[in-house]
Amino acid sequence: MNNYKPIQLHLFGGLILLLLAWTSVSEASASDTAADIVVSPDGPVVSIQEAVNMARPGDHIRVEAGVYVESNIMIDKKLTLEGIGYPEIDGNLEGHILIIAADSVTVSGFFLKNSGRSHVRDYAGIYIDKAKDVVIENNRLDNIFFGIYLSATERGVIRGNEIRSYERRESSSGNGIHLWNVKDPKILDNKVEGQRDGIYLEFAKGAEISGNRSNNNNRYGLHFMFSDDSVYRGNTFNKNGAGVAVMYSKNVDMIDNIFENNWGTSSYGLLLKDINDSRITGNRFYRNTVGIDSEGSNRVIVHRNDFELNGWAVNIKSSSRENQFTENNFIENSFDVRTDSPRNPNHFEGNYWSHYEGYDLNRDGIGDVPYRPVRLFSIIIQRQPESLILLRSMFITLLDTAERIMPVLTPATLIDEKPKMERIR
Amino acid sequence: MRGLFKTVLMLTASVLLLMACEPKPQPIQFGSDQCEYCRMMITEPQFASQVVNKQGRTFPFDSIECMVAHDLTTDNPDNIHSHWVPDFTNSDVWLQAQEAHYLHSETLRSPMGLYLSAYGVYQVAEEYHNEYLGTLLEWNEVRDLVRQEWLSNRDNQPHNHNSH
Repeated sequence: MNNYKPIQLHLFGGLILLLLAWTSVSEASASDTAADIVVSPDGPVVSIQEAVNMARPGDHIRVEAGVYVESNIMIDKKLTLEGIGYPEIDGNLEGHILIIAADSVTVSGFFLKNSGRSHVRDYAGIYIDKAKDVVIENNRLDNIFFGIYLSATERGVIRGNEIRSYERRESSSGNGIHLWNVKDPKILDNKVEGQRDGIYLEFAKGAEISGNRSNNNNRYGLHFMFSDDSVYRGNTFNKNGAGVAVMYSKNVDMIDNIFENNWGTSSYGLLLKDINDSRITGNRFYRNTVGIDSEGSNRVIVHRNDFELNGWAVNIKSSSRENQFTENNFIENSFDVRTDSPRNPNHFEGNYWSHYEGYDLNRDGIGDVPYRPVRLFSIIIQRQPESLILLRSMFITLLDTAERIMPVLTPATLIDEKPKMERIR
Repeated sequence: MRGLFKTVLMLTASVLLLMACEPKPQPIQFGSDQCEYCRMMITEPQFASQVVNKQGRTFPFDSIECMVAHDLTTDNPDNIHSHWVPDFTNSDVWLQAQEAHYLHSETLRSPMGLYLSAYGVYQVAEEYHNEYLGTLLEWNEVRDLVRQEWLSNRDNQPHNHNSH
């Protein structure tokens, strides 16, 4: 064994040398060809705006680590701005920090802080105005009013950014990623905390919102308004002021998201307001006052989601029609379903209900008696909220059981005819 | 004498009681109150509006457009006592909606996408109009706008009205 050692060492050493030589050559060539202008606190170019003014369209600007106190930096031609070692741009609490008003601009690797605040202007860390194919990647934004603001843009990718603010009042904080009148944007793998809404969409079309973590925001983790044909998938929304609100939109796919820890009198995991022809699948609703709160929403398919330990798993107003709840798991929620009318225009079938007390004599995995997810007591506390203190009382249990056998007040047709005996995996 | 005193006392008391009952706007709890029309949490004082009914109960809205949409769709319009909007330049001031002046400008983005802000003084509304463009409107025109752009024509497109 010992004989081999010197040879191995030689080989290894040689390889390392080779590797070093190769990387230094490739590094040198990369920086030579790619960076047309270098900005550095040591000069000669010390300001980012100066570099942008000097640059020709298509240039690559490299910004070295350091602190640059600049605001309203206007990028009005196609450029790539690359930060090395997270150079800090301090907006000095004045206006926007970066304004992008040209197509195909890429901004990556910056640390932006201290944008202006205003109750008239939506000042942002990065404001993108009427531009196509902009890429904003791996930036950190701190103490900004709005974070990344897309106004009248097309396509474009916002990926891997971290946005954080410290304003606790909803009225004086702005949104983390704000989209207004945009087409086909991709919002991927960002992290947003402490803003008003983590991610906000108004008049967006064809948006894809995936892999983001939007937590501890003052109002909503995600807020969808008037935004059709969009999808959000694999995001986490934790401890936001009121959860997630999806409003006045159609054809929205909500897939594999986590909605958790939204407690409070007007909080919910997910609010559906005037949402039509949409799909909610594979999501987890965990520890919310209300899992899904649905009003004026029609033909929504709710399939294969987990509702666990919520106050109410589902609160569905009778203004919501033809919605389907199939193969969901309802596990240990205080109440499974609440509704405001004895009529039931929605369909529940083949769900698993942990409160189900029926039996399965033919062993086909489906309970032999239907399950009624609306408890009588849920209707009583709707009329008399104070009675909630009786939740665990013997009397209420008796009432609920009696109502289950002979429904009088609960919606007679709101039943699951085929409740599953086992949790659906 | 004693009877007269009693009557005066009763009258004063009832006048005071009536005054106390005059329905008026109440402060909105930002960050916890929900919009009566769209259910959104109310966060922006410069747009948050309210309706007071004849029993003195108040109903908060996150925006002028939501209050108007509620007004146009409510089952019980006769029970509304008054409509109130905040002055955009000082949101602590409540204006009677019928008497306020409105700016419809895409630059001033209100919570529900109809870009409506209200002003107590016409000259101030004109100043904002000069700076932020758009169209100046009165209450009836605001109602028409909400009816047209939101209630009857929901195409989910931003509504461009930046003409002077």
